[in-house]
Amino acid sequence: MNQLFMQVLNGLGVAGILVIAASGLAIIFGIAGVINMAHGQFIMVGAYVAATVDMFGGSMFLAMPLAFIVVALLGLVVERGVIQWIYDRPLETLLATWGVGIIIEVIVKVIFGTLGQKVSWPDLLDGSIKIFARPPHFPYYRVFHIVLAIAILLVTFYILYRTNFGLKVRAVRRNRAMSGCLGIDTARIDMLIFMYGSGLAGIAGAVIAPIKAATFDMGFTYAVSSYMVIVLGGVGNFLGVPTGGFLIGEGTTLLAFVTNTVIGQMLVFVAIVIAIRVFPRGIFGYQERR
Amino acid sequence: MAVTSSARSGPRQVRRSRLVPLWAMVLGALVLALIGTSPEYAGTDSYIVGLIGKFLCFAIFALAIDLIWGFTGILSLGQAVYFGIGAYFVALSMKLNYTLVNATRYGSNIPDFMEWNGLTEVPAFMTPLLSTPVAVACALLIPTLLAFIFGVITFKRHIYGVYCAVITLAESLILQDFIIEYQAYTGGFNGITDYGNLRGAPFLWVIVAVTVVCFVGARMLTHSRIGTVLKSIRDNDVRAEFMGYNVANYRIFVFCISAFMSALAGAMYAAWVGIVSFLDTGPMLSVEAVIWTAVGGRATIIGPFIGAFLIRGLEFMLSGSWFAEYWQIFMGALFIAVVLWIPDGIVGTIGAWVRKRQAGTRAQIREDADRLAHDRQRDWEPAGAAKPGEERV
Amino acid sequence: MALLEVKGLTTEVSGFRILDNLDFSVDENELRVLLGPNGAGKTTLISLITGQFKPTAGTIHFNGQDITGWAPDQIFKAGISRKFQVPNMYETLSVYDNVMISLQGPRKVFQYMFSGVTAAENERIWEILEFVELASKVNEPADTLSHGERQWLELGMLVASNPKLLLLDEPTTGMTDTGKRRTADLIQRIAKNHTVLLIEHDMHLVRQLAKKVTVMHQGQLLAEGPLADVVANELVKAVYLGKGGRR
Repeated sequence: MNQLFMQVLNGLGVAGILVIAASGLAIIFGIAGVINMAHGQFIMVGAYVAATVDMFGGSMFLAMPLAFIVVALLGLVVERGVIQWIYDRPLETLLATWGVGIIIEVIVKVIFGTLGQKVSWPDLLDGSIKIFARPPHFPYYRVFHIVLAIAILLVTFYILYRTNFGLKVRAVRRNRAMSGCLGIDTARIDMLIFMYGSGLAGIAGAVIAPIKAATFDMGFTYAVSSYMVIVLGGVGNFLGVPTGGFLIGEGTTLLAFVTNTVIGQMLVFVAIVIAIRVFPRGIFGYQERR
Repeated sequence: MAVTSSARSGPRQVRRSRLVPLWAMVLGALVLALIGTSPEYAGTDSYIVGLIGKFLCFAIFALAIDLIWGFTGILSLGQAVYFGIGAYFVALSMKLNYTLVNATRYGSNIPDFMEWNGLTEVPAFMTPLLSTPVAVACALLIPTLLAFIFGVITFKRHIYGVYCAVITLAESLILQDFIIEYQAYTGGFNGITDYGNLRGAPFLWVIVAVTVVCFVGARMLTHSRIGTVLKSIRDNDVRAEFMGYNVANYRIFVFCISAFMSALAGAMYAAWVGIVSFLDTGPMLSVEAVIWTAVGGRATIIGPFIGAFLIRGLEFMLSGSWFAEYWQIFMGALFIAVVLWIPDGIVGTIGAWVRKRQAGTRAQIREDADRLAHDRQRDWEPAGAAKPGEERV
Repeated sequence: MALLEVKGLTTEVSGFRILDNLDFSVDENELRVLLGPNGAGKTTLISLITGQFKPTAGTIHFNGQDITGWAPDQIFKAGISRKFQVPNMYETLSVYDNVMISLQGPRKVFQYMFSGVTAAENERIWEILEFVELASKVNEPADTLSHGERQWLELGMLVASNPKLLLLDEPTTGMTDTGKRRTADLIQRIAKNHTVLLIEHDMHLVRQLAKKVTVMHQGQLLAEGPLADVVANELVKAVYLGKGGRR
């Protein structure tokens, strides 16, 4: 029984990671309608930023904002160079960003080699909470992930719903043409949103890196999970990402506990496919009315 | 479909462009002869022959992608699932048969990867695969069935576009993980190796024949009315639905055909190459095939063939040189370039250029007329407008 | 009996009632014009009739059948065709193919396998192309046509589908005066053999075309009858021109 409870908690931690990883993607997809296939590589770059900071003795709390800035700038380059020409063709954006991802991955491989870098947790987060007398205990970093996930959701909520900028963003999402007529620079909004989303991916990479290591291919599975979070949770409403993240996070963890990781993944996938029969655009997505 | 109109009073005939234009047939026959007889002049065991067989399988796979993506607008980032399943069935079958005859170094007659994982005999559910017809049937029908189920689940609910792409990507990844995990049955990370192969002149002719059938079949399909319906779904599925077409059914139909073709390609691939691994089912192969089609020319029949041969051939030729390390960067850049600058691919761009030359004069006249009208509009002013310098009352 | 009968049709989106208990009918072989200020619910009514959305309440009967809640392709087969406000066609297909695809006929998947166009169908396609004056552009892809030509192409596509009821949603948007008058002419010719429900804003055209007119306002029927009566209706004047500003 204790084991089960620990797994439930772990699932929350995984959900936290998924929320952090998926938020950036969800914002970009929700506002601009494009999916960034290089999302995994963006996460990976964030992880390598953390690794570099770690090499120089800095702490993760320094790495996080640095990762945000670095990857946001990367996103800027990608958006201006590639994406801005193809907003009206979302499928093509998939392919083009896939290509971007490959290029980023090779560059990182060339610079850092294929072996990967270990990143250490800051002392503050080293260790775990003893919930039950016997191990496994609940690691501090999982708590950190959950807290960070909530923080990101709150900050994003604040930006979108309590600032002028957010108002413009929501206007563009509601009615792009009209917003343009009203003087909102929609191109600039798209760019800033893409940068923000990318930056969030960077943070995700920075806080995921210490779990195993920063390797050049670590981002891909998190990216695919992020896509699933969006598909299941939907991007029409703020609750989409946390709901999707929670369901997938808990689902995979518990099912993996009962069977194994691969079967767990499969079952979650099947569940998602069944779920979208009822919610074609995600649980909280804009639903078709038929 | 070319249409000619004679004088006003005469009846209008529909002149269908011939199924395969004459020059294409001649050229195609030449190419096929070249390919088919390559074992003669290059040597049966030569690397080139091996590549040609492989590339032909890839070309069929690329055509399968072209049917759903170029013609119908469905982007699947996981078609390799069907390719891979077809390949694995055939490889398993051949492996089981091979180890019956050639014992492993430990003396047993079961595949090595089963042995390594502690199995003492071939699992019961796998023994039917010893029979080649059963294996081939499984290799072709099971992927098609899977595609049908997938199609019914997703297309009937109008899930397409980005959502479909992402879901197929996940599907592909999960299959890959599944294969790696259950290595006792699938050979896991190493794949299934060492089961002999059918590389050689006779089987090459089989592959060539299948390629021709697939291409001719695809051309017949896309030039028929169904082809136009599929294109209309690609261009405007809402309109198509409002014109009475059950869009979901058409999508399922073409998706199953594509899966069947992919499985066929995969099955022949496994038999020819002699190795299959999880890479043959994963997202990397799927997306690569999309790029072959995009580069060659989507919504054409020859395009996928050219794209696959070109890119894979290029990769082979450059593999020994200094460029090899940067091949991936080249691929990534190719993705971007194709999307941004050459959306029609090679064949598409050539075709458009040819058509433009043919229509040249007419187009030019029309362009001039348009420009004249446009300029006239721009100079238009409302009757009461103040001229610059005049006072506004 | 009316060809199209709508009873008590209501539809709500996010708590906002777009159509409110609407009763509406069109007789066979009529050319009816649907008027109303923006937001009155005209396009929504058409969307509901063609099956794009399900109504929250109410029924739609067509030709004696209850088609409420049917899928769009089924409603098409029952005999209703729709023209969208923005020209909506298959961009990369040629003009010929656009019309060909829209021809009345079976829509089943396996029926079309490997088959081409019969001689009779080809005649019909050319007939329609001449009717909409696009015969000279027969092989051009649809996205190279001018705006007016695209509107006419879509009308041609609708005629090809040989429906019992044609729903035309502002088919003259974006046209010049001449274009509008010629389109009105075309619509009149179409209406000789079909029932047409037309949404239109341009009063000149409405005067040219209309016999019976229906005015909608805020999801409900405001007035119905011959054009002259409707125009003289005080309520209609108030809605269109506003109540204030007595001179």
